[in-house]
Formats: sequence, C-alpha cells, structure tokens
Amino acid sequence: MLQVEHVTKTYGDFYALRDVSAEVTTGHIFGLLGPNGAGKSTLIRIVNQILQADEGTIVFDGHPIRQSDVENIGYLPEERGLYKKMKVGEQAMYLARLKGLSQSEAEKRLHWWFRHLEIDTWWNRKVEELSKGMQQKVQFVTTVLHNPKLLIFDEPFSGFDPVNATLLKKEILRLRDEGATVIFSTHNMSSVEEICDDIALINHAEVVLSGNVKEIRQSYRKNLYHIEARHSDDNSIALPSGFEVKNANDEKGLYVADVSLPSSASSNDLLSALMPQGQVTALQEILPSMNDIFIEAVSQ
Amino acid sequence: MRKILLIISREYLSRVKKKSFWILTIVVPLLLAGLYAVPIYLALRPHEKTTVLVVDDTKLFDGAFKSSKEISYQYAGSVDYAQRRLEEEDSVTAVLYIPARETTIPGDAFLYYKGKVPPADLQSDVSEQLQSHIRTIILQDVHGITQEEFDQVNATKIKVHTKDLETGKDGFLEVKMAIGLVLGLIIFFVVLMFGGQVMTGVSEEKTSRIVEVIVSSVKPFQLMMGKVIGIGLVGLTQFALWIILSMVGLVGIQAANPELFEAAKARQNMTEIATKGTDAVEQMQALNDAPVVTELIQGLTAINFPLIIAMFLIYFVLGYFFYATLFAGVGALVDSDTNAQQFSLPVTIPLMLVMIMMPAIINEPTGSLSTWLSFIPFTSPVAMMIRIPFGVPAWQAAVSIALLLLFVPLNTWIAGRIYKRGILLYGKKITYRDIFSWFKKK
Repeated sequence: MLQVEHVTKTYGDFYALRDVSAEVTTGHIFGLLGPNGAGKSTLIRIVNQILQADEGTIVFDGHPIRQSDVENIGYLPEERGLYKKMKVGEQAMYLARLKGLSQSEAEKRLHWWFRHLEIDTWWNRKVEELSKGMQQKVQFVTTVLHNPKLLIFDEPFSGFDPVNATLLKKEILRLRDEGATVIFSTHNMSSVEEICDDIALINHAEVVLSGNVKEIRQSYRKNLYHIEARHSDDNSIALPSGFEVKNANDEKGLYVADVSLPSSASSNDLLSALMPQGQVTALQEILPSMNDIFIEAVSQ
Repeated sequence: MRKILLIISREYLSRVKKKSFWILTIVVPLLLAGLYAVPIYLALRPHEKTTVLVVDDTKLFDGAFKSSKEISYQYAGSVDYAQRRLEEEDSVTAVLYIPARETTIPGDAFLYYKGKVPPADLQSDVSEQLQSHIRTIILQDVHGITQEEFDQVNATKIKVHTKDLETGKDGFLEVKMAIGLVLGLIIFFVVLMFGGQVMTGVSEEKTSRIVEVIVSSVKPFQLMMGKVIGIGLVGLTQFALWIILSMVGLVGIQAANPELFEAAKARQNMTEIATKGTDAVEQMQALNDAPVVTELIQGLTAINFPLIIAMFLIYFVLGYFFYATLFAGVGALVDSDTNAQQFSLPVTIPLMLVMIMMPAIINEPTGSLSTWLSFIPFTSPVAMMIRIPFGVPAWQAAVSIALLLLFVPLNTWIAGRIYKRGILLYGKKITYRDIFSWFKKK
C-alpha cells in the first residue's frame, strides 16, 4: 500500500527524519511509534503531501505519490479542530467536498454516518455548541467519509474520552476489515499492542525497529515464564540452579511465580522440574510488552 | 481548481451571510447620504421666524435694523412695554436694549430673553447690524463719506475662481480636495478592513487547528489564495452594493429637491438664466444664502465619477491583493491574538504613514512627494486615490499600476512561503530570525 523509501527531512541543521524507510502492507494496521518529537508527525505530513521530503520517495499504491492521492487518504491530525462558527453539517459537507466527493454523494454518506453514530440531530448546530467529545465524532466522520484506502491517525486517542476511544477503535477495526489500510501514530505503546499488525519505531529521526508485532515480541523474548502450581502443605517448591524466580508467592498451597530460564533451558525443562513437586495448573510464556521493547530499543 | 473554488465560495458565503456584512452595507451609504444631505437640508430648511423688539435709547438706530426672512425687528418705545410684550406674546423671542451713553457712540447692547433661548445666529445678526450701522455713522457723519461711496465699499466682495487652462475647466479645487480625502480614507479603511479579515481568518484556522485537516486535502497555497480571493470578492460585493445604494439615495435626494440641481446647473451656464426667466433667478437668489452648497453641487457635477469608480476598483483590487497576501502571511505566524501586533505592525506601518502624509498630498497633489507616494506600491493605492479627482497624467497612473502589478505576485510568493511554514507551527514562538531562515536557499 505504502512504501517509505529513504526519506530525509531537515530544518536547517536539524534532522526531523534521517533515511527513514518503512513498508505498510495493504489491509494491515501499522503503528508508527516513538517518543514525542521523534519525527512521526513529520513523516505523516510528508505522506499527506503537506510537507515535501528533502530526499527519498513515497510510493503509494504502486506509484510515486502525487497530489491526487490525497483523495484516497483520510487523515486525522494530532492537532485537530473545526470551524467554530460553522454548522456541523455544512462543515462536514465542505471537508468532504474538498476530498473530492460530489455534493450528492457527500450528503448521502454523511447522513449514513451521522445516523450510524447517532449524531444526526446535530446537523444544523454550530460547532461551538458541541462538547469536545461530540466534535471528535464529527472529526472522525470527516476523516473516513470518502472511503479512503489509507487511513492515518496521529495520536488518535489523545483527547478522546474513554467512550469515544472505544467507539473509535471499533470503527477503525471495522474499516480495516472492509479493506482499508490504517496507520497509527502514537507514543502510547500499550494502545498499539492489541490492534497493530506491524510497527516502526522511530527515535531521534531514525527508525530503530520495525516489523511484525508478534515477530518483534518473539525476537525480544526473554525466556520468561509465568507458572502456577498446587502442592501439598508439607513441601515447598524449589527450582534448579540457573532458574531465576521473580515475584514468587506461596499461599495456601498455591505457588505463583515468574521464572526466568537460562538460555540453555526450555519451557519443558521448567515443566519437568515442577512436575515432581506438585500439580502444574498454569505455564505461560511472558513476552515483553511493546513498552519494554521500546525502552530497550531506545536505550541501545 | 475545483477545490480552490470550493474554498473561495466558503470564504465568500460565510461572510456574506453574516449580519455584520449587511449592517455595514446599509450603514455606510446612509452615512454618506447623510454627509451629503445634511448641509443641503440645513441650508434650505424653513426657519422659525424670530421677532426682536428694539428699544433704542440712543436714538441712533432709527430704522437701522433690517428684518430678514428669519428675523423681524420691531421698534418699541420703552423697556417696560417691550418687557411686557416679551412676557405675554409667544411670538416675541427677545428684546434688544441699547442704553444711552455720555458719548455719542454706544458701547454695549443687551439682548434679553425669557426661557426660550434665542437662536445663535440672532446674536451675530444683531451684533453685525449694530456694528455696520455704527460704521456708517462714523464714516458718513464724522468723515463725510456719501451713502453711494459707502455702499460701494461695502459691496466689495471677491471670490477666487480656479480654472485649469489645460482642460479649460473650472478648478473646483475645494470640492476635489474633499473628494480626494474621502477616496483616500475609503481605500485606506477597506484595504485595512478586508486585509485584516484575511489575517484573522488565517489565524483562526491556525488556532482552531482546522488548518491541518484542510491542507491534507488542498495545497496550503490554494487555501491561502482561496481565502484572499474569497474575502476580496466580499469587498467587491460590498462596493457594488454601496454604489447601488448611494445611487438610489442620490436620485432620491435629487427627486426630493429638484430646484436645487436645476439652479446649480443654471448658475454654471449664465445664458440659461435668461431662457429660464425670473423663476431661475429667484431660485438662484434663494441659493445665495447657501453658496457652499451650490459650489459643492456644481463641483460634484463637474467631477468624472465613472473614471473615479473605475480607478477605485483597480486600486482596490491591486491594493487589496498587495496587502491581503502580506496579511495572510502575518496571520499564519499568529498563534494567539496576543502576538498578532508584533507581525502585523510592519505591514500596517506604510498604510499609517500615508495616512499621516494625507494633508501634504492634498495640499500639493501634483507635487513630487505626492507623485512618489503614488508610485510606491505600499502607498500608491491611497496616494493615487487622493490625487485622482485633481487629474493624474496617464503615464503616472500607468507606472503606478504597473508597479503594483509587479509587486502583487512578489508579495504572494513571499506570503505563500511564510504561510506554508507558519500555519503548521503550533505552540512555538516564531521569531523574525525563523522567518528569514525560511527564505534561505538549502
């Protein structure tokens, strides 16, 4: 869907992006991660052709990106707003028509979306009369209205209340299932783990890590397991040397702990060490969270 | 192209739909019509008759007071009698008492009134008649000048007429000054007003953060130009409405006071008086009471309004684009109203400067200062509009317009550059150093 190839952007002596490459697969949700000021918004603005890269190219749907492609992109910026004095319906129509929709098509789709999100009574109200949460719904609708192939959300959940954030997530997943490709940009790692298929981690203008979320988490696995085992009251559970026990808790015959295994050992070794001592009720690998990976990748 | 039209129509419609637009549309012609109609009305309104009882103890002023249309002087024998009439009769406004003195020449006179304040021109009329009669007495009785000689001296009245030998037309310089002043002020205000609207429009989009959504659909330059053009069209609409309403008003005034315009035209062409007969002569005499008004009307009829309107439109459009683009650039730098001043000042200073120089331009419309100011694009729209009623050589107008045409694209380029960078810089204080760095070659 989208290939970012060796993109560099500078402001004077300051590098906003340095030789950044990434690939966004069609139908996937792509997370663009990194701390504030890493360059995420700059990259997104380049994809939206608001800014121009100094070097490198953006390939959209198989061809170098051109101005008309903006009609196939839906963009919800981090800094977002609406004309306060304009009526909601009028404003949504205006934004939809700027994205290339015809008057009648824009009207038809808007009415569908307004009914779908139960905001159709707002059509003739001025934006300034709406609460912030209400405005966010309108902004979301105008972002997705033209059925873009590529949806870009920059810090989508910042400023959204929990109800709207859940709704937003649900709608985004639905749009993905209907064939849209989604880019998420955020510094909030926990929000991406569950919905992103692939990520690119940007720090100080450079990509420090990229790929499939599951693969990345696998590659950062620490051979760490969570165990639970029942045992009789007269004995306690002991593990062979080299097995590092963390957060152990032994109460009323239930032993709960996280165990870090030496690199030579596997989960089966842990299981066979436990089995003679009690009844194993749970054994699960603990994969590092994106947050841990992020901190580790950034500190390298 | 389709998108820029969408932007233009939004900018245009959202403003034209506002109440304030229509209020301004109606109020301005009303004000202008008022400026035009009030002096005419004042000159022609029927005056209330004021009756003054004269009590002259000096016996010098027998029959000296001449009654006019507004003031009637009646002689009364004693102060007591006059006072009684002042109290009893509503038609008596005041009593003029001239007490006798040791010397032949009286020093003071008293004007008594009761409750109802006499009009201000009564006092001046009384004082004028007193003085003029005393002068007559002194000249005739003391210096032995005859009545004829005295009348001759008194009748001396010289009016300076101006005439341009190049065109052979009357100068009407005072009327032209007034029109030049009005035109200069109007263009100053509209450029500032609509330019200012561009600035606030741009900064509103920036502070409300809608701008990033829009520039993900259209190029920043398109958004900027759409706004500048849309607001410019609002300005042109406003003018068209102003001109139409003023015309309607003017025709209305003419219809209500046809004799005024007839007489003014007649005075211009002396031969017409003969053909019109005594009627016109009478009207003229009526108008002699208000010479300023006739002069104004004559002057107005002598002015080439189509040319002025055409030049006004040219200078409004060019002056507007010259400044509105710069204002758009300024608006893009503003993140809150507080720092608007810092960046708008360099743009408004040239306009303010030409305002300060306005009297100098009017005083010498063909002087070198006026000529230079009407060439420099920063000042030319205002300076040239002041000069237009006096007549401007075609080559000077051409140079002035050509320079504006040259600078408008340059300003647009500069503003576009600033705009593109400025609108997406949120929450950061922008300095002049930053702005200069945007123009450095990479």
